[in-house]
Amino acid sequence: MPKIDSNPFLPELATIQDIIQETSNILTFRVVLNDEQKMREFSFQPGQVGQLSVFGVGESTFVINSPPTRKDYLQFSVMRTGEVTQRLHQLNIGDQIGVRAPLGNGFPVDKLKAHDILFIAGGIGMAPLRTLLLYMLDNREDYGDIMLIYGARSPEDLCYTYEFDEWRSGGVRLVLTVDREFPGWKERVGFVPTVLTEEAPSSYNCKAVTCGPPIMIKFVLIGLKRLDFEDHQIITTLEKRMKCGIGICGRCNIGTKYVCVDGPVFSYEELRQMVPEI
Amino acid sequence: MYEKIFIAQGELAAMLERLSKEMDVWVPVEMGDEKWGVRFLPYYRDNVVVLDRQSTIGPKNVLFPQVETLLRFRYQKDSQDPSKQRIDLKDRQEVSSALVFGARPCDVRGFFTFDHVFLNGRYKDPYYAQCREKTLFATLLCDTEDSACFCSSVDSGPGDREGSDLWMVPVDDGYVIEALNDKGRKLIPIMGKPATPEQIEKAQRIQEQVTAKRIGEYDLTRSAKDFTGRFEDMDYWRDMVSRCISCGICTFVCPTCYCFNITDESRDLEGERIRSWDSCMFYHYTLEASGHNPRPEKFERYRNRVGHKFSYFPDTYNGMISCCGCGRCIRSCPVFIDIRKIVHHLKEAVDAEN
Amino acid sequence: MEDKAKTLQREFLKVFEKLEVVLGWEPGYDSLHASPSFIRQVEDLNKLVWNPLCSQNLCNYLVKTLNASVREDGKKIGICVKGCDSRSLVALIQEKFVTRETLYIVGIPCEGTVNWHRLMRFEPSLKDVQKVTIQGQELVVETAQKTYRFPLQHVMEQRCLHCRYPNPIIYDLLVGEPITPHAGDDQAYGDVEKIEQYSLPDRLKFWEKEIDRCIRCYACRNACPLCVCRDSCIVETRTPKWLAQRCDLKEKFFYHMIHAMHLAGRCTECGECERVCPVEIPVTLIKKKLNQIVKELLDYEAGIDPQKQPPLLTFDPSEKGI
Repeated sequence: MPKIDSNPFLPELATIQDIIQETSNILTFRVVLNDEQKMREFSFQPGQVGQLSVFGVGESTFVINSPPTRKDYLQFSVMRTGEVTQRLHQLNIGDQIGVRAPLGNGFPVDKLKAHDILFIAGGIGMAPLRTLLLYMLDNREDYGDIMLIYGARSPEDLCYTYEFDEWRSGGVRLVLTVDREFPGWKERVGFVPTVLTEEAPSSYNCKAVTCGPPIMIKFVLIGLKRLDFEDHQIITTLEKRMKCGIGICGRCNIGTKYVCVDGPVFSYEELRQMVPEI
Repeated sequence: MYEKIFIAQGELAAMLERLSKEMDVWVPVEMGDEKWGVRFLPYYRDNVVVLDRQSTIGPKNVLFPQVETLLRFRYQKDSQDPSKQRIDLKDRQEVSSALVFGARPCDVRGFFTFDHVFLNGRYKDPYYAQCREKTLFATLLCDTEDSACFCSSVDSGPGDREGSDLWMVPVDDGYVIEALNDKGRKLIPIMGKPATPEQIEKAQRIQEQVTAKRIGEYDLTRSAKDFTGRFEDMDYWRDMVSRCISCGICTFVCPTCYCFNITDESRDLEGERIRSWDSCMFYHYTLEASGHNPRPEKFERYRNRVGHKFSYFPDTYNGMISCCGCGRCIRSCPVFIDIRKIVHHLKEAVDAEN
Repeated sequence: MEDKAKTLQREFLKVFEKLEVVLGWEPGYDSLHASPSFIRQVEDLNKLVWNPLCSQNLCNYLVKTLNASVREDGKKIGICVKGCDSRSLVALIQEKFVTRETLYIVGIPCEGTVNWHRLMRFEPSLKDVQKVTIQGQELVVETAQKTYRFPLQHVMEQRCLHCRYPNPIIYDLLVGEPITPHAGDDQAYGDVEKIEQYSLPDRLKFWEKEIDRCIRCYACRNACPLCVCRDSCIVETRTPKWLAQRCDLKEKFFYHMIHAMHLAGRCTECGECERVCPVEIPVTLIKKKLNQIVKELLDYEAGIDPQKQPPLLTFDPSEKGI
């Protein structure tokens, strides 16, 4: 947790150590804080986010994509959408950025223990779920069966393909899908909510964690309800325009809750109690 | 008990001169020749201080400037390895002491909202904290209410001394000034001579008279549940908000509105990260990079404004309303949208349904 | 003589079933203010008023709120316009943002509207106001205690002092007798000429002092009926970002210059921009100056003839000296 005395607007300087091209518009950055002691002492929960600064352009919020159990670097996956992400994509290894992290709440890792876990991800939505997935693999005995349904528009739009084997050997049942047939594609075909219905995982002692484009979440929720998942069994992480990241500038609110401080992780039970303004 | 002093209207300028040697003094002055509006500016000789009416924009920018530098950055080549770059990052500036002279209870009350958000949350805002610490308020008892004022409707009133360091009551042709705490007490010797018992008694009577007044006919302090009940009634919001032109005036003149934007402004290799006033009434406020906007319509944005002030804020902070009843949003609105009616009718509609 | 408000109510009642909404004015938060009214239920028609407090230009809502270029169910939009408002309406028709056939226009000849700031300078303690009318060259304010008379030229809006079009130039129905304008053609740009008598350094000082107060609330832009870029306005775009969020004089001038340039030859001088400014900057002057230049160079004024095309939206190869 950040110290109250420090300036919460002041980023830590960090150096880009590695850049991985995930898809045509998603890059994964591995960064290391310049201050070695701060890097060593850096602690966070899976699901917490960070604000990356490109000084001169601005800041943008990304989930800390690597788990707290693997701290050689901090990983962030960035999709090129606006002015900050565009500039980020132009940076090189060795360039300096700012990091304000960790912010927000994380996934409720303790409450998820001793449950089966169903991950449902679409496109860049895999980024926050990867953090939790790897954390669970590093603490394998605490969790039951783990299944991941991960879909994207095409095989080229799937992220972290180079890690799929590691996840499988870690004990994850991996169901991959793309929107339509592609030459050479041997896995499933169909939208994520459809594949969810086809797989029909059991809701007994299961928690579902989902992230993806709003339209996918909408239909995944319907699908999960049909499979008898209750509100408290469904967890998601929200996206909002953020600026301060510390619950002060006012803009990321949904009713009384600020997505940057009370979220971005919410259970569906919590979402139902908030005003309908996503 | 603190000493009470009296200062005559004609001696005000000399007193402000003396005070401005100790600290920055902010006073209400006219917008310009032949203009009616009043705003707060740093005092300098030749300022004509206007105390007979409420300011158009309050002293919000003394503690929360419209533009404030958060960080300064500079890209530099690393002298050891020119292919690498270094960034020089600085925050903090020195803040000097300030006195806000001639604010009204509603202006001071606006900062209670700021204190909750900027000081008492999980994170503390160091820029605001520093300014707040070093700023004193010499507040004027208010007897110039007009038809847009409604401070009593939100748990305050024209004689509300809470949050001020010095309290001024207009008496005879001057003011009886009283320190309300140690910080204010330090300024008393510079400000004037002891008041006579008659002046003190007059001030007491005026204080009682003004405190007994009720400014604003409604009670708007218990609207949180009514708001939630009407959240999805789009006909109600369209009805009430069609005339809004979605500018930013209401939020900019409001003493309790604190939303801000953070942008980097740079030229070549150096620049600043600044925060600047933003408004929930602007379309771009919640516009996401993907193009999605949770509040694309002005009705939704205005609904969020009402909700924030009269429902979400009191729900989070023990019933405190994020509105001081100054009426500026009503007076300055191009189409005179009346937030009192909108909040009050939330209640009536629910009663009608029952 | 029937109260014009009653006439308006009666006339709109006659055609109400053919109208989707009626735009008019209703009493505001107190008896010295009026607010725009969107009337969708016939029983609300009796809210309509007409008096010197009806300042707002209702044409502002046609494009931005009501999207008045098409009406799918054949119903029309009823709208009340003063003389200055009708010019904005004609300009919108000239630029094809609004289709004439979708509107039912009620024109009201206007003797002037009150500027609340200027009235307060005269008499800040006005209370219990019951009626506000214009009689001759005076504004008559009747309160419960007494009747006040103010010289009209000291309490009217700036725009009214130079008004050459008090009578609506486009309407389906005219409510009231045509009236004499306050200003002749030669006085149209009197306020601009006054500033031009300052030396250049003094002129700069004047504008620096005025524009310095700007708080970038964008009310002037949002109140302008011809400003129809809505949420895509260049001053707020982020990619690319043209204007800094800084509040120095340079950025404020930049904003006002862009706004004025985008209105050159299109502004109908309705004066709403100046009326709504919370810090009382005389912004209409800048646009009037550009209009004066367009008038001299191209002999054109916006919002007079619905058939004419604004010269800056087209080009004529035979034009010289451009």
